[in-house]
Amino acid sequence: MSEKKVTIFIDDMPYQLSTEDNLLAGVLSQKLNLPYFCWHPAMGSVGACRQCAVTQFQDQADQQGRIVMACITPVTDGMRISIKNKAASEFREQVIAAMMTNHPHDCPVCAEGGECHLQDMTVMTGHSVREYQGTKRTFTNQYLGDLVGHEMNRCITCYRCTRFYNDYAGGKDFGVYGSKNQVYFGRQSDGALESEFSGNLVEVCPTGVFTNKVFSSHYTRKWDLQSAPSVCSHCSVGCNLSIGERYGSVRRVMNRYNIDINGYFICDRGRYGIGFVNGEQRIRQAKGIAQQSPAALTTLDVAKAFSHFRKKQFIGIGSARTSLEANFYLKNIVGAEQFSPGYNDEEMKVAAQHAQLLTSNKAPSLAEIEDSDFVFIIAEDISQTAPRMALSVRQALRNAAKTKAEKIGIASWQDSAVRTIGGKLLSPLFSLQSTSTKLDDVCQQALLLPVEQISKCLATLEKLLQLGNAQTINNDQALVQAVKHLAEQDKLSVTEQGFIASVYKALRKATKPLFISGTSGVCANVLSNIANLMSAFTAQNKLIAPRLIIVPPCSNSVGLLSILDEKSLSIEQVLAQLNDPDKSYQGLILLEQELANLSAVQITQLRKSAQTLIVLDHSAHRLSSIADIVLPVAAVSEGDGHYVNYQGRAQQFFQVHPPVLPIQESWRWLDNIADIVGTKVTSKASDAGDHESNYYTQVVAKKTRYESLTQLHQFFLDTYAQWPKLITKKGDKTQRDKSQQKAIARMSHRASGRTAQMANITVHEAKTTQKIDDSFTFSMEGKATGQSSDMPFTWAPGWNSNQAIGQFQTEINGQLLKASAAVFIPLSSALANNPCWRLTKSIKNSTFKSEAADSTVAKNKTANHLIYVQQKNVYFSEWQASLTAEFQMLRQSNRIYINAKTAQQAEVTKGQWGKIIFSATNEKMLWVNQTVISQIFIVNDLPDTLVFGNFALCQSLHHQLEMTISLACEQEVTDYLAQFNDALIAAKKSKENILESLKIKDQTIPIRLFSGGLNDG
Amino acid sequence: MAESISNNIKPLTQWVNLQQPLSFDAYCQAGGYQGAKVALEHSPNDVLEIVKNSGLKGRGGAGFPTGMKWSFVPMFTDGDEEAPDNKYLVANADEMEPGTFKDRLLLEGVPHQLVEAMIIAAYTIGANKAYIFLRGEYYLAAKRLQDAIDQAYQNNWLGEKIQGSSYSMDLYIHCSAGRYICGEETALINALEGKRAIPRAKPPFPQVSGLFGKPTIVNNVETLCNLPHILKNGIAWFQAISPNSDAGSKIYSACGRVKNPGLWELPMGPTLGEVLYDYAGGMQDGLKFKGLLPGGASTDFLVAEHLDTPMDFDSIAKVGSRLGTGGLIVLDDKNCPVAMVLNLMRFFAQESCGWCTPCRDGTPWAVEVLTRIEQGQGKIQDLDTLAKLCDFMWIGKTHCALAPGAVEPLRSALKYFHDDFLQHIEHGCCHYNPSMSAKRTKVSQAQVTNIKKHQSVKSPQSPQSPKVGQ
Repeated sequence: MSEKKVTIFIDDMPYQLSTEDNLLAGVLSQKLNLPYFCWHPAMGSVGACRQCAVTQFQDQADQQGRIVMACITPVTDGMRISIKNKAASEFREQVIAAMMTNHPHDCPVCAEGGECHLQDMTVMTGHSVREYQGTKRTFTNQYLGDLVGHEMNRCITCYRCTRFYNDYAGGKDFGVYGSKNQVYFGRQSDGALESEFSGNLVEVCPTGVFTNKVFSSHYTRKWDLQSAPSVCSHCSVGCNLSIGERYGSVRRVMNRYNIDINGYFICDRGRYGIGFVNGEQRIRQAKGIAQQSPAALTTLDVAKAFSHFRKKQFIGIGSARTSLEANFYLKNIVGAEQFSPGYNDEEMKVAAQHAQLLTSNKAPSLAEIEDSDFVFIIAEDISQTAPRMALSVRQALRNAAKTKAEKIGIASWQDSAVRTIGGKLLSPLFSLQSTSTKLDDVCQQALLLPVEQISKCLATLEKLLQLGNAQTINNDQALVQAVKHLAEQDKLSVTEQGFIASVYKALRKATKPLFISGTSGVCANVLSNIANLMSAFTAQNKLIAPRLIIVPPCSNSVGLLSILDEKSLSIEQVLAQLNDPDKSYQGLILLEQELANLSAVQITQLRKSAQTLIVLDHSAHRLSSIADIVLPVAAVSEGDGHYVNYQGRAQQFFQVHPPVLPIQESWRWLDNIADIVGTKVTSKASDAGDHESNYYTQVVAKKTRYESLTQLHQFFLDTYAQWPKLITKKGDKTQRDKSQQKAIARMSHRASGRTAQMANITVHEAKTTQKIDDSFTFSMEGKATGQSSDMPFTWAPGWNSNQAIGQFQTEINGQLLKASAAVFIPLSSALANNPCWRLTKSIKNSTFKSEAADSTVAKNKTANHLIYVQQKNVYFSEWQASLTAEFQMLRQSNRIYINAKTAQQAEVTKGQWGKIIFSATNEKMLWVNQTVISQIFIVNDLPDTLVFGNFALCQSLHHQLEMTISLACEQEVTDYLAQFNDALIAAKKSKENILESLKIKDQTIPIRLFSGGLNDG
Repeated sequence: MAESISNNIKPLTQWVNLQQPLSFDAYCQAGGYQGAKVALEHSPNDVLEIVKNSGLKGRGGAGFPTGMKWSFVPMFTDGDEEAPDNKYLVANADEMEPGTFKDRLLLEGVPHQLVEAMIIAAYTIGANKAYIFLRGEYYLAAKRLQDAIDQAYQNNWLGEKIQGSSYSMDLYIHCSAGRYICGEETALINALEGKRAIPRAKPPFPQVSGLFGKPTIVNNVETLCNLPHILKNGIAWFQAISPNSDAGSKIYSACGRVKNPGLWELPMGPTLGEVLYDYAGGMQDGLKFKGLLPGGASTDFLVAEHLDTPMDFDSIAKVGSRLGTGGLIVLDDKNCPVAMVLNLMRFFAQESCGWCTPCRDGTPWAVEVLTRIEQGQGKIQDLDTLAKLCDFMWIGKTHCALAPGAVEPLRSALKYFHDDFLQHIEHGCCHYNPSMSAKRTKVSQAQVTNIKKHQSVKSPQSPQSPKVGQ
C-alpha cells in the first residue's frame, strides 16, 4: 500500500512502519497485540473508545512518557512508544473495566461467544477482577427484521455500527440516540433494517449487540463449524466468502478478506442468500433413472439410463450461475454448434457487445473503483444488482473530501476529521437510470429516462467529445451552446442537455474517471453507445479516458461469456433447431438453467419439441417439474468449481461439506454422462491449411473418470486448446504444493463435535471424509488456517473474531501474507463474429433508427404510451437468493412510481391503491391482459413516458405494451392485500419448517467417507 | 484596599441595567457602537493587531489569548480560488457551568454591548454570518438580545453594508436544547449544525474548519464584550485597568453560604480572600469557611491557605486549580464535602456526551462509589477506586476536557477533605446529616496508613489545567 517507511521504537525494539497509516495500524501490521474497538481498518479512526492507549516518549531519556491513543497518532520517524509500559497497560485494563460496568455476563448464551472481539480484548488487557459494585443499565431491544438480531444491553458504545451503517454505507434508518452512558444504537422504531448491507453490523459490532439472526436460530459455536473458502454465487462481483457448515446444513456466511474485491464487507444477498442450500425447493433425489439397489444410486444406474442416448444429439443450455467447468464440459459434450447460454436474441446481442467491451477495456477491481474521482453509472442499478460495487462507489465519492483534508495536512485515516472538513463535499457521481436507485442520494445529478433516451444522451455525449477534440470548448457558455446544437438532432430536453454539459464539465477535471453500466437493461444499443464513447475517448487527448465496468447479472456470467463463440445458439434458435425436422435432436440438457425469461407458452413449446428433457439443478423450478430426467446438483457450498467475476477474474470455490448423495456437482454428473456419450473434440485436419472449414469435430470416448477438479482440469488442458491455461497452471501449483505440504483444516483446532456427533447412532468414531486432490481436510487436523490466501475461516491465537484477519495481512489493509496472484481468463469476442449478434456502428445506426421508428409507431397506436420498467431488488433479482425464506419474508407490496401528470390523468393520488392493466399481444398474437393492484407513488422528475415499479410482469407482456392506470376499488385492494399477506405467512411457515427439519436432521446426519462422486460400493 | 479597587472603572458592567437594558439610542448616547465604528475605520488586520497587543485572554475558562486564536483563521484576498464562501463567528453564551452566572448579567443587562462586540470580531476575521449560541433557559436574554439585534438591523449596524462600509453581516440567535457539553466549542458547532453535541476531533481546529466545514471562531460572551472598550479606549487604557500580568477587568462572583452572594466586575487579579470577604461579605453567621471552587464546578478546591492567591490565570494555576469562570462556589463547615462532590459528579455523569469511554463510564462509576460512601456504605478500598478513577479520567486520556474537569473537584476533595471521606467510611454515616448516626467506630489503622501511602504516591498530579482539545 505504501512506500514511505520509517523506523520507530516500540518497547525499545526498532520496527519499520508506514507513515501513511496511524500508529495503531502500524503496530498491528507488525503483528503486535494492541487492543482496540472503535477503529476499523476500513473505516479509520475517531478516538472514541480510548482502548489503544500506548505511552509515547519524547526521546530516549524520557522515562515518564505520556499516554496517547495509537489510533489517532500519526507515525513519525524515530518516535518511541511503549505498549508494555505500566501506565498505558493499566489504563487499557481500566478502559475495559469501565466498559464492563454495563456489559452483561451473558457470554454463555450470547451468539458472539467464542468469536467475540470484546472477549478477546478483555483477555488481552488482562482485566479479570470486577470492582464496580453498582447496577447495570438496561435497554429495550428492537425488532430489526429477520436478518439481524438486537441485544442493546451488550453495547460498549464504540459507535462502529452507526459509523458503518450511516457514514460508510449511507443507510438512513439507523442512528444514535440518547447520551451519557445511555447511548442507544438502533432505529427510531421497530422494523426491518432497510440497508442492503445491514448484515455487516454483525461483523462490525465488536460484541453481541448485532447478531446474525438466521445463524442464531440454528446456532453453533464458531469452533464447531466446518468451513471452506468460497465465492459468492449471487452476483458478478465475486465477493470472497467463508461458508460455515455443521451437521450437513449450511449455518452462515462470513466475509472473507480479499483486498481487491470485497475487503471487509459483503452485502446481505451474499450473507443470507445462502439459505437456498437448506431450502425446501432443493432437489435431493434423481428423477427418471431406474435404481438397482434401493440403498444408493450408482454410476451403473446412470450409465444404464444414458446408454440409450449414445450417438444421439442433444442441445445443451449452460448457465451463468454454474461453474466454468460444468459449462465448458457441457459445451464439449453436446458440441459448440449445439450449445446455448440460454439467452434470447436481444440478450445475445448484449452478450456479444459485452464481450467486445470486456476484451478492449480492462475492468477495474472494487479497490480500484475506490480510487476514482468521477463515476458515471448508466442504465444499471448497481445498488441492487451488484450492491458491494455500489458500496465501493460510495467510498470513491469521499475522495474529494480526502483531497481537501490532505491539503490542510489531515490524513485520510482521520475519519471524523475528514468528515468535518468535507461536510457535504462529494466527488461527482452521475447517473442515468430508468428507475430510482439507492445511490441517488449521493449523485451530483441523476436523471430518470427510458433506455432509448439514455442511448440518445450517450450518443450526444460522444458527439460532444468529438467536437471538444476538434475545437476548444473552454467556457461554460460555449459548452451549453455546443450541447444545445448537438442535442437538436435527437430533440433532447433542456434537462438532458444540462446533464450532458455537467458530465462533460466534471470529466474535464477528472483524473481517474470511471464508467459503470450493465446488461440488466438488456439494451445492446446502450452498450454500443458506450463502445463508441470509449473509442471517442481514445481518439481525443484532452480528457482522460475512463475505465469501464459492465455489470452482468450472475456469478459466472463472464465465465459463460468466455466459452461462447460464433456458433452458440440463442434460445429462439434452440427452439427453431429442436423443431427443425432435418435435425433429429434427441432433446435438451439444461444445466442449472431455469430459463426465467421464457413465457409459459414458450415453455410448453420447448417441452413439446424436446423428446428428452434432462435437467441438472439444485432447486426445483418450472422446467425441473416437467423434465424426463432430473439430476440433483450440488449448491455452491457442496462442491468445487470456478466462477469468473465481472472483471474476468477466475476464483475457485471449495467444497465446504460433502452433500448427501446422490447430490453431486454438475461437472461430476456431466462426467458420468460423458462416460457414456463421449465428448466432442475439434481437430485440425492434418493436411489442411488455415481455413476454418478444415476443422472437424469428432466424438471421442473418455478413458477415465475424473474424480477431482484437478484431474478434470488436466483433461481439459490436454484436450482443448480453448481451456484457459491460467487455471490449470494454478491447479498444477496446488498439486505441487500439496505433495510437499499438508492440507489445511476445514475445522478449528477446538472443534468439539466431530468425534461425538454420531454417538447417538454408533459409539465408534467415524472416519473423516476423504477427498482426492483436496487442499483442505474435513477435520481439525491439518495445517492451520492462514497458510494460504484461501482461508477456510479467520482465526489466530488470541484473535477469535473475524478481526483476526489483521494477523494474516502483510500490513493493515494490505495483501494477504500468502496471497496468490489473481487469475484472469482470456476473453474472446468470438460471439460477435456471428452476424446475428454483431452490432457494428453502421448496423447500429440503422437498427437504432428503425427501432425508434417502431417505437413511434407503437406510441401512436397506444393510448397511453407508458413504458414500464421493473426495479431491481437486492433480495429478489437473483433467482437462487430469492428462494431464501428470510428474503421472501421481506417482500414488499406492489408499488408503482408515476409522475404527477400521469397521476392526474389517471385521477389517482399519492398513497392510493391503483389498478394497473397491462395489455399486449402474445406470441400467438392473442390479446392478453395482466392486472396489478399497486400502491401509487409520485416521482416528480420522471418523464411522462416512463413508469417503474417493484413487481414483475408476465414474460408474454414484454413487448408492445399498453398500460392503463385507474383507481382500484376497495374489494380489489382487500383481495390483493389478503393474498400478499398469505404469501408472507407462507414464507414464515416455510422458514419454520426448514428450521424444524434441520434440527431433526442434526440428530441423524449421514456419514460420508469419500467425497468424489457417487457411492458405488 | 477594597475601596481603591471599587473606584476603578468597570467597562463591562458600567451600562448594565437588569430592569430595563439600554435601548439602541440610549446605548449610543452612553458611548456605545463607538468601538465598532473605530473597528470599521481600520482594516481587519489592524483590528487583529490591536486585539493581539491588548493581551485580552479568553474568559470562558481556558484563558487562551483571543488575538492569537483569531490569527489562525485563514485570510484570503479577492479572487482566491481556495477562499471559502463563508466564515463564521459564534458567541458562546451556553453558560451552563454550575455556580457561574456572569454572562447572564451581560446578556440581560446590556445586550447591545454583545451585538457591538460581535460586529467587531466578525469584521476582523471576515465572517459574514454570526450566531449567538444561547443557553436554552435564558429566555429573557433571548428576548432582549433579539430586540437589540432588530434595533441594530434598523440602524444599519447589522445587515448589508454596515454604516456605509463594504462590510455586511448577519447575526442570529440559536437557543440551545440544553447540554453542558455545548459549552465545548466543537460540540457547540456540532449542535449548531443539528448534529449530536459531541466534541470533534482536533485537528482540524474550528478556526480552519468549523461550522459547516468553514473557518469559525467561537468566543465567550465576556471575552467578546471587552472588544468595544478596547477599540474605543485603546490598548494602554485596557492594560492599565489591572495591576497584574493579565490585562483588563473580569467579572467575579460568589455563591454558597456567604453573606452577600453576587457578582462584581474587578480589575484582573483580586485575591480569593478579597472577593470572599470584601465583596461577598464573608461567611454567614455561625458558619466557618471550609473551601471553595474558584471558577465554577470543574475546578479544584482551594482552602484557607490559598486565600491570598490573586485570581488571575497563572496564580490560580500555580496553587493547583484553575481560574475557570471566576465564579466562587463556597463550602462551609456545616455542609458535607462528600455530598457536594457527589452532587457535582452526578451533574457531570449526567452531562457526559457519551463519546469516549473514560468519561461515559467513568463518571457514573465515580457516582456509584461516592453514593455508597455518602450513604455510609463505603469501604476503605473505595478511596483507592476513586483515586484510580481520577487518574483514569485525567487529561490526555479523554476526548475532551469534560471528564478532567469533573475529576478536579473530586481529586482535590480527596486531598483536602480526606478526613471527611475517612469518617464516612469508618463510622458508616455522614456526620453532616442529622438523620444518620454512626454504625461503626473503628477502622484498622493499618488500612488507613496503607491508603495514605498509596495516595501520596498517586495524588501529586500536575497542577496543569485541562485544555480543550486534549
